[in-house]
Formats: sequence, structure tokens, C-alpha cells
Amino acid sequence: MKLHYVVFSIVMSLLKPFSKLPGLNTANILLVESEEQLQQPLADVLVEEATFTVNVRLAKTLPLPVENEESRPRIDLVVFIIHLSSELSLQSAEASLKHLDSGYFLGKVCFMVTNARDASVPPERLDAVRKLAASLQSPLLFAEDQTPNGLTTATERLLTILKGAAGLVPMATALYLSNLTRYSLPFDIDQPTFD
Amino acid sequence: MEHTAHVQTKRSRGGFEFCLNDERSTTTQSLSSSNVDMATNANLSEPSDSEQSSLNDGNLSSQSSNRSLRVAEKERRKNEAEDPFVLALKYFADVEAGTPVCGNDEVERNLVLVEKVAYHKGLPPEAVSVMLEFAMSLRMGTTLCPRVLKCMIPATMVPQKAVVRAVVWLSVGKIPISTQVLFLKWVLTMFDLIDGKEQLRAIYGFIFSFITDENLCPFICHLLYLLTRKENVRVYRVRKLLELQSKLGRQPFLLHLLSLYKVFCPELVTLSIPSRMRSGFRNHSLPWKSTLIRMVKRNDSQVASSISLALSVKDKAGSRKRKHNHLQIPALHSVVNKPAQADPSSIRKVVPLLQLNSFAQLLENMHHVELPAQMGSLLGSSVALQYLDCVQDESALLRLNFWLGYALHEEFLFCDGVTHNSEESLQFLNKLLSTQHFLQEGFSSSEVFLYKFLNIWDGSFLRPQILGLLSNIPVVPSSQIGQLLFQPLMQLFFTSSIFFKCGLIDCLNNMLLRWLTWHSVYALEDDLDISLNSHTSVNMTLSGFKDSVIELIHFVGRLASVGLQLEGCHTLLLSFVLDFYETVCDTFLKYGLPLVVMPPAGVFYPALLATDPVSVDRLAYIMYRYKVNLTSAKSQGTVAEQAFHISRQTFREFNHYIIIMVNCLWNSRMFQTSNLDMKLGEELLLRSKVPQCGARFSFIHHPAFMSYAIDFHQRCWPGRKDVDLDSIKDPKSWNWYLEYLFTQGWDGLQQFVQSNVSWKTAAEVRCPDVPSSQES
Repeated sequence: MKLHYVVFSIVMSLLKPFSKLPGLNTANILLVESEEQLQQPLADVLVEEATFTVNVRLAKTLPLPVENEESRPRIDLVVFIIHLSSELSLQSAEASLKHLDSGYFLGKVCFMVTNARDASVPPERLDAVRKLAASLQSPLLFAEDQTPNGLTTATERLLTILKGAAGLVPMATALYLSNLTRYSLPFDIDQPTFD
Repeated sequence: MEHTAHVQTKRSRGGFEFCLNDERSTTTQSLSSSNVDMATNANLSEPSDSEQSSLNDGNLSSQSSNRSLRVAEKERRKNEAEDPFVLALKYFADVEAGTPVCGNDEVERNLVLVEKVAYHKGLPPEAVSVMLEFAMSLRMGTTLCPRVLKCMIPATMVPQKAVVRAVVWLSVGKIPISTQVLFLKWVLTMFDLIDGKEQLRAIYGFIFSFITDENLCPFICHLLYLLTRKENVRVYRVRKLLELQSKLGRQPFLLHLLSLYKVFCPELVTLSIPSRMRSGFRNHSLPWKSTLIRMVKRNDSQVASSISLALSVKDKAGSRKRKHNHLQIPALHSVVNKPAQADPSSIRKVVPLLQLNSFAQLLENMHHVELPAQMGSLLGSSVALQYLDCVQDESALLRLNFWLGYALHEEFLFCDGVTHNSEESLQFLNKLLSTQHFLQEGFSSSEVFLYKFLNIWDGSFLRPQILGLLSNIPVVPSSQIGQLLFQPLMQLFFTSSIFFKCGLIDCLNNMLLRWLTWHSVYALEDDLDISLNSHTSVNMTLSGFKDSVIELIHFVGRLASVGLQLEGCHTLLLSFVLDFYETVCDTFLKYGLPLVVMPPAGVFYPALLATDPVSVDRLAYIMYRYKVNLTSAKSQGTVAEQAFHISRQTFREFNHYIIIMVNCLWNSRMFQTSNLDMKLGEELLLRSKVPQCGARFSFIHHPAFMSYAIDFHQRCWPGRKDVDLDSIKDPKSWNWYLEYLFTQGWDGLQQFVQSNVSWKTAAEVRCPDVPSSQES
């Protein structure tokens, strides 16, 4: 245990998925959002809806502060919330990604995107997020955060992924599930196909 | 024409002093009519109306009311004359060419005034004409032009004459290209508000001539697309378009126009049009739209209150206005409902759909039907849908698809935040769904829309409607089905709740059912080449169709196996999966498709080992149907030529499943099947310390039937205190027990047992009889 902490403090800026022991019937989720709009309501619903113990931790950006390092439980799923209406949101998420251990990308990272249907969003930004999620082989969830129903759905979907990532689904691992849920770039319907 | 008009205004200005009075009165008169229009909107003219009615009431008050009427009239005139807006318009109507803009406060003041009115309640038709004429004639140079165009928000409608004149100005004036584009975008946005299209159609050739301009080409194509009629399609135009295409490449706007030409005159356009094209013309998201929508919303209440006034005039304007709220399906309304314009000597006798109220009338006028300008209105009218269904009118479907694709895109993929009205969207999609059910086919535009929408769907927004639309889509070629459908659906499926999973499986079941039904209907017409959709020219060979169906079945198999595993074999999900396989097992006999696909082990075992008897019973029924299908396919294979080859693998899988089921439920030899893929070692089974582990899933000990066994036991031996289920194994009680089970409504089990086990109620033997005929 002692050795374990030493190693951790050397690379403290990296968040690691397997450096701590999991709790019994417990899952820990970290919501990263630079705007801090959706985090709190989402966290409230997450705790409410879950059938198991969920610890929600909020952060604006990564890396997480060193002070709480020891008291922080093992993070099972890191969710990046990206508001397509702001470029900053995407940039901040991209910057934060660097502070994650590569082990997280085996099914313990997920992206949640809002305002995808908004006309004012430049299509390039959505494409950039899509490419990001596809290149990191992580799930990309679209959320209708304007409606209460949309918030509940987003929560349910996060819980589904979290359950898998925390190892609460018998006979399934995070890696196995990520194989099914990871995002792959959509077929471009706009490209005319000449047959 | 333009030139003379110009001269006239100049001359009248020459006799300024003298003519001013006269001219003012004429302008105010013409403007006042529009003002009245506005006044009715704002409910201002009601007092005069009520006075009119009181006038009829009695003679006593007639004099005073007459006077007050006159006073009111005078007042109004005075107001109009002094109305700064009217004055501003007059300024723009009269301003001399070459007046400088720089430092001209008057222009600025007047323009601000017009803009204020425009953004607040929209411009009356008369004002639209004046301002459009002012802008396009470049009387005050090119700088003001874009600004004026941007505030051209019509309150009710756009007079088509003004548009025609402006189009003429396009070629006359030296308008900068960006302004020309802006003008065309404006026309496209306001297209539905133009009060008639005849004159625009009359200058079709003139508009067509602009197509050579590379910058204008996309917009001109779009405009032409909206205007084109059969008689507009000419060889030289087709040639010109093809020439352009070779120059510009296969641009979607050219392809769309050409595809419309092809529909009208297939003999002129020999080009092959790709079946799947870019969804449509580009959207011009300009400030006009949101302003219009906002205005329409505000005006709606006013229109409703003033509806009693001038009903005949208002009716038209009202229905036109509503069209801009895309999702409100426009009222059925025809271009040729003005009898004054119907020339009795015209060769084409047309009957607008609006005037047809019954199917009988439709039959009489089938060949003279004039389609409405707004194709979306067809969705709301059953007669129109019957017309669409009976007449193989490709142009109507093409136009309807175009309208629909546009509306769907605008509302669901490209929202501007303001128009977030889910109630409206809900009704619209429901209408679309009922239309598709009526026509019994999906629209290709809704299909293209779905492929895009699935990629950004959260899985719950309008779920029933979206899944409904999804189950209506026509057969997707197997080469594309994976990327278009399966990828987004798989991501949604595995990240969503159990209810979404059930809904999706149900939706895919409906999709398969629809595909199979199409096949059974159209395959009759032609053995090999089945046209899947009576209207579109998508042809698919039988093997292509089979490939798509196989892909779909395998995809659901994958979803179901992993889904059941992740959800701990949830009974509800299992039930939906079994629904799907009830469709799959009967593809040959029920739908005539020579195809048999077995369920994967991930579905078979959860159903066989389920804790509820319903699932086991349904699995038994499914296996029974598989057997019937396979035996009939095999017997046909020896007799008829149209046999199809069922791979040995399928037979092997089927026999394997049958043996396991019989051994498990009947023989109590669960782990002793010789040709099991998976084999458990004897010592391992011993270590589990389960007594007689082979019998744990027989009819007696199966968790699904245990309660029946206990019930049976109590009925047989009411006195016995300790329940010994093994006593049912005795041949006699075993038969009784089975009969008892079958009387409980487990018909699937009964059919399965009767077809697979040589079991007779009287006979004492019970041995498995795996049909040897199917072993080849």
C-alpha cells in the first residue's frame, strides 16, 4: 500500500483507473464540464435514479487537485460534457483528456454532447467531437438537456455505462462493453454515392 | 416595360406643383387599401363595422350615426395622410434616381421607419412592392439594396408582380453578385407567400437563362425546381443542364433539377440518377425565417379575432401565412382557385384537389387533378392520399418528398432554438406516420432524415414516433445497412435503458414484418426481380433482398444475445426477442421467402432455461414452426424446381437445438447429449453436488414448471405430506402430468412434444425421436 502511494505521487497529474480498490456495490463517476451548467442537475438525478451507490464528483477541468488525492475514491467513469454552442467547451475537454491514464480509454471514458440539433452550431465542431470520440474509441452520447425528460434519459444512459465500467454487470467488463458502445464515425449520407 | 414606367414617374415629377395633389391622392388610395388590410389585422376597423350595423337598425339614429361615420372616415384619411410610414413609403416610391445616400438623413429616417414596421408586424403587400422596386432598381446605388432586402418581411403575402419585376431587374441593373444571391434567397424563403405562380412560370425561360451564372446557379436551380411543370421540360434545357454538369461536376442542385425533369419526361433525360442523393437544396438560414415565424405566431391570435371580417379575403391570406410555420401542415389549397383566371379556352382542364371531397369525385376527375402548390397539404387530406396511391404520379411523390425532407430537416436537425415546440413536432410526426400507414410505404425523405437523426438522437426524444418511422423504412441494400442503420442503433441500444432495448427490438420486428410483406406482395408479380416500392424505381434482386433480411436477422440476434446477457435475461426483453423470432421462424411458409435462419445460442438458452413458463412455451412453439418450415422446404426441394438450398449448417443447428430441448425437458439427460459443442466433465458436475443434475430442467424440475409439478402432485396425492416430485416420473403419472400441463394453455409445448417426441398418451414408451429426415 505504501509503495502504491509513492508511485502515485510521482505521476500525480495522471488520473488512473486501477490504482485504488473498488468499493462494494459502489460506482464513482466524474463529470467534467467547464461551464458547470449541466453538472449539478445531472448529478442530482444520477444519485436519485441509481439502484446502487453512486458517488458523483464534479470537476471543471482535469487534472484534479492533489490535495484530495488520498480521500478520492477510484473513479470508474469519466464523463466529458461538451456544449456544442461554445468552442471553449470542446477545447477544455481536449485539454483535460491529456491528464487521463490510457487505461481509462478501455471503456471508462464517455462524451456527452448537447445542442447537436441547434442551427447555430457550426457543423465542423460537431465533426470535431465525433472524430475525437471515434479516435478515442469511447461512447458519444447526445443529450437533450433542455427538457426534463431528456435529462432523465441522459442520466439513465450514463448509469448504464457506469454499471458496466464499475464492474457491476455480471459476466461483462468495461472493455467488452466499450466494444459495443464506442462511437464510430457515421456514414456520410450527404456524399452522393454513384452506383 | 420597366423603362416606360420610369419615364412616366419622371414626367409626373416635371409638373410637380400641379400633379402633386393628384398623385398623392392616388398613392394614398392604393396604400390605404393595404392599410385597411392592416387595420383589419389589428382589429381597428371594427367600430365602423358596428356602426354600419346600427345604421340598419333604425332610422332614428341614422343621421347621427351617418355623421359619426363620416367623421370617422375623415379621421382615418387624415391619419393615413400623416402616417409617417405611408409617407416613408411614398418617399421610396418617388425618390429620384441618383440621389446621394451619404449624409442623406431623410433616407436614413425613412428607412429606419420602414424597418421598424417590417420587423414589428411585417410589410403589407403594397409596401413590399414599393420597397422591392426601390431596392432592385438601384435608384440610390447599391449600398442600400442588401439592407432593404433584409427587412422585406411580408405581413400577409408578396405580390407576384413585384417578384417578376425584381427578377427582370436582375438582368437590367448592375446589381452586385452578393446582392443578387441575397435576393434569390429571399425569393426562395418567401416562395410560399407569393400570391400566385403563373406569371413567374410564364418567365420560366427567362429565369432559366440565369443558370449559366456560376454563383446564382444553385439558387436558380432551386427556384426552377419549385416552378417546373411538365411543359417546361425541353430538350435544349436538358442539354444545357447536362453541359453545366460536365462543367461544374455532379452538383446536387443540378442532379435534383435533372431528376425532376426525368420524372416529367423520362425520354429526354437518359442520365442515370443515383438512387440516394444529397438530401436536398441547401437551407438558407437567414434572419427572415425566424422573424417570420415570430410574426406569424403573434399574428395568429389577431387573425383569429378578426376572422369574421372579410372572410373571403382573409381566408386565403391566413392559410398562406400559416405555411411558414413548417410543421403546421398547410391547408389544402390550390394554385388555380381563382375562377377569373381559368381561361375557358384553355386546353388543359384542371380540377384542384381542393374541390374534390369524395372518392367518387376523385375517380371522375382523376386525370385533371391539379396538385396544390404546397405538397405538404396532401398529408392532411385522405382524398389526396388516395390520389397519390392510385395514380403512379412520380412527380407528386417527388415533390412531396422534397417538401417533407425540407420540413423534417428544418424542424429536427436544424432548430433555431426559438421554435422548440415539441407538441407541434409530435402532431406532425403522428400525421406523417398515419400517412405512411395509409400508403403502406415510407417516404424516402423520411428515410434519409432518419439516417441523419439516429446519429444525434438521445434515444428518448419523440421515441414512439421515431421508432414508428424507422420501422417503415424500405429495404436497405445490405452493403449499406450496417453503416446507415446498425452502427447508430447499436450504440443507442447498448447505452440505453431496458425499455429502449425492448422498443428497438419491437421496431426491428415490425421492420422485418414490413419487408417480408412487401416481398410476399411484389414477388408474385415477378419471380426474380422484385420492385420493393411501387413508386420509386428502386429495384432489388431476390438475392439482394435476402441478403438484407439476413443482415437484419443477424443484427437482431447479436443485439438480443448480448442484451439478454447484460440485462440478466430480463423477461420483458426476452419476450420481445421471442416476438422477433416468431416472425423469423415462419419466413418460408408465411411470406414465401426461401430462407431459414436459426436463433443464436444467446437467445435459445435464456429462453429454454427461463424461469417463466411463457418463454419456454414460446420457444417450443418457435422450434415447432422451424420444424414445419424446414420439412416443407425439404419436401418442396425434392418436388418442385423452385427449391432453395438450405445449408447443412442450418439443419445441424436445428437438430442440435431439438436434441438439447428434448434431452433437457423430456429425457432428463441434460448434459449427456453426445454432439454438444460445449461439454461439461463428469467430475466437474459431481463437484457441483447437485443431485441428478441432468434432470434439473425436465418438465418436473424446470424452474418454470416446478409450481405446476407441485400443484399436480398435490392433486394426485392429496394426502401426502412430503412432496416427492420424482414420483411423477412414473410413466403413468408422467402422461397424466403432461396432459395436465397442456390443459394449462401451453399449446406451444404441446405442438413441440407432439411433433418431436413419439409420445402417445396410452403408450408407455417415451423416447426422443429426432426427425431423421432432416439430417442431410
